[in-house]
Amino acid sequence: MYDTIGIWVGAFFTLAIYSFLYKENPVYRLAEHLVVGISLGYTMVLIYNSVILPKLLEPIFAGNHLILIIPGLLGLLYITRFIPSIAWLSRYPIAFIMGTAMGVAFPLTMKAYVLRQLEAAMVPLYSSGMPWYEVFGNIVMIFGTLAALIYFFFSKPHKGLFFGTGSKIGIWVIMLGFGATFGFTVMGRISLLIGRIQYLLGDWLHLIE
Amino acid sequence: MSAVNIWEKMLNVDRRWIFLGIGIVSIVPFLIGFGMPITTTIEVEGIFDYVDELGPDDAIFIGFDFAPGTQAENMPMAVAVMRHAFHNRIPVFMTAYVPLGKGMAVAALDYVTNPKTDGYYERVLFEDWADYREAGITNKEELTAAWESDGNVLSEGAAGWVFEGRDYVLLGYLPLFHLVILGMTGSIETQFPVDYHNNPIGGMPILMEHKSLREVDLALTTSGSAACTAWITYAREKIGLPIAFGVTGVMATDYFPYIQSGQIVGQMGGLRGAAEYEVLLKENGITRTTGKAFRGMDVQSAAHIFIILLIIMGNIAFFAGGFHKKTRLKGRR
Amino acid sequence: MKRTVPLMIVMVGGILMMVQYFIPHQYSQVILDNYVEWAPIVGAFALILGVGSLTRLHTHKIRRKAKNWQYSWAVLIPLFGMPFFALIVPQSLGGGSEVHGVHDFLFMHIQVPIQSTMFSLLAFYIASAAFRAFRAKSALATILLLAAVIVMLGQVPIGDVLGKWLPNTGLWILRYPNLAAKRAIMLGVGFGMLATNLKIIFGVERNWLGGAGK
Repeated sequence: MYDTIGIWVGAFFTLAIYSFLYKENPVYRLAEHLVVGISLGYTMVLIYNSVILPKLLEPIFAGNHLILIIPGLLGLLYITRFIPSIAWLSRYPIAFIMGTAMGVAFPLTMKAYVLRQLEAAMVPLYSSGMPWYEVFGNIVMIFGTLAALIYFFFSKPHKGLFFGTGSKIGIWVIMLGFGATFGFTVMGRISLLIGRIQYLLGDWLHLIE
Repeated sequence: MSAVNIWEKMLNVDRRWIFLGIGIVSIVPFLIGFGMPITTTIEVEGIFDYVDELGPDDAIFIGFDFAPGTQAENMPMAVAVMRHAFHNRIPVFMTAYVPLGKGMAVAALDYVTNPKTDGYYERVLFEDWADYREAGITNKEELTAAWESDGNVLSEGAAGWVFEGRDYVLLGYLPLFHLVILGMTGSIETQFPVDYHNNPIGGMPILMEHKSLREVDLALTTSGSAACTAWITYAREKIGLPIAFGVTGVMATDYFPYIQSGQIVGQMGGLRGAAEYEVLLKENGITRTTGKAFRGMDVQSAAHIFIILLIIMGNIAFFAGGFHKKTRLKGRR
Repeated sequence: MKRTVPLMIVMVGGILMMVQYFIPHQYSQVILDNYVEWAPIVGAFALILGVGSLTRLHTHKIRRKAKNWQYSWAVLIPLFGMPFFALIVPQSLGGGSEVHGVHDFLFMHIQVPIQSTMFSLLAFYIASAAFRAFRAKSALATILLLAAVIVMLGQVPIGDVLGKWLPNTGLWILRYPNLAAKRAIMLGVGFGMLATNLKIIFGVERNWLGGAGK
């Protein structure tokens, strides 16, 4: 019974959202507002159950982790944002999170986004037994990366053999990449629709598996 | 009516006709069911082979790092890998990078353990096997034997038992999850003292055998945002944890550099990636049937053809109508 | 106190954590362990800002009877209803306490369908955009279009039926030129992130201080 009512309610809201394709209407607007309230309400419950209670209140009241009062108080300073005269105090928890998170991220970002990528871009163009399309692919990959980097380099005018030709090749490579992304974006959007059709035809109407 | 007007009329067609068209091509193939075969790619095989090599002494993380908006793509990926892990008796930790991801993890677990699902796993909650734990029976083989010898019978159609705290634990969501990943490289329990049922995870065999991410063998992040990259930055680059991606189609092309650099063992890109994993599960006898992702691929074919036709028709009208010449350019085109 | 101290906290915290990475000492690890234990606790309270702002905005709308003010109840009721039904009255529709509770129902049967469907609307709009805006107006646009069409066909089963070259070419585009373009972008993003990190740590970038007084 619970599931049946749930699926009917879900189907109602699914169709309510699709009604927007024809015309904006009050049911769509209701659904749009509900989603904001529910998601934040859900997050409130989650934060209480997974952080405030087990990681803060319970250890403090058990008496063996009194030091956790410090992050607790620091977190509470966020509330001051709503009291204009002392709103500046809310900068303290932000500063605590911001600075340290940036520091932690720096060396790891350097590795993940820069060093590993540079390393991986240095591959042999050819090794024995490699089919021609892989050899050609490696050439495209290495010189394509360089050319695309040249295209993004705006400190020099894109003229001459290096910057001019380089940036021209770069934009072609980038367009191929964006084309691939567009193709995948279409696929992704259709997949989301497929999910809803499966819900309506399968879970709700039982017309398909 | 001049020829130009026909092209103009065509380009100005009420977009609701296009909406209707896409609606029809998304429904009809489901009702007909072509079931066209799918070939697998090395990007997905990389994940499958890696998981297939693991066993009961190993453990994996499945990150439900997506919100309901992209569940149609991400959920089948997570479900497929979860079923693979349960089949091979690989312990599974489940986490969420975003708050609503926790709800998605609960939904995935409910689906895999729901008797209506073909080849489901029968779930035993943590408190239900407390006596066995206290008697020191935590090894999966011994636990299953003891559990069944006490009169518990596996239902017909079920693929096996999964014991909460032994075979899986749902840890859930914490704020600033990238730092939580970093924290778990030192200790999982410090970050998650309790699971989503409020069971202390310190007493769980899964945690006793895998105390930190250093003792885990793979993290699959199923994601609809850049959240997946946090697993690379904070786990892969920090301690070398192998990572696999299950990402939405929109993002999939962005992460090919990670595959070639070896920073991830493989990637499922969009619904197609999930369908490939389902095919691999079936071909290897892990599941009897393919799942929702595979069933959706017929529609995917039809919709792609429809959209390509729209592009071609749009271009024909645009050029035949002469709208590419500046003097003829009208309106917003 | 209002600006200098937060900026100092950022700088000291940032440098400390950056240096920490390069010092594999026990004490250094203790600092990191404590930090990652505290950070989610502090971060959790940021939710107060979201809930506070949303509540203020919608109570304001209701009080002023602003346009469409009735819908503000559709935000406020579930916003506070969710914690009420989950934490204070967790009784369920079916008799249990957690599974099948009102809180669970609102999430699984209202939130999930609405959010999934909203995202799926994009399928309709991308089809419309493909018809109206995707033009082979220049050589570059044609290349983009061709790559898109090949990848689109290569990714679906019908691509295999039309010819093996389609998925093979699609995969080649993804694995080589696409990879080159995305790696160049990734390097740019990486350097951008590193520069922003340093700018924040050393107080050059101060937008995060917000408008909370001078």
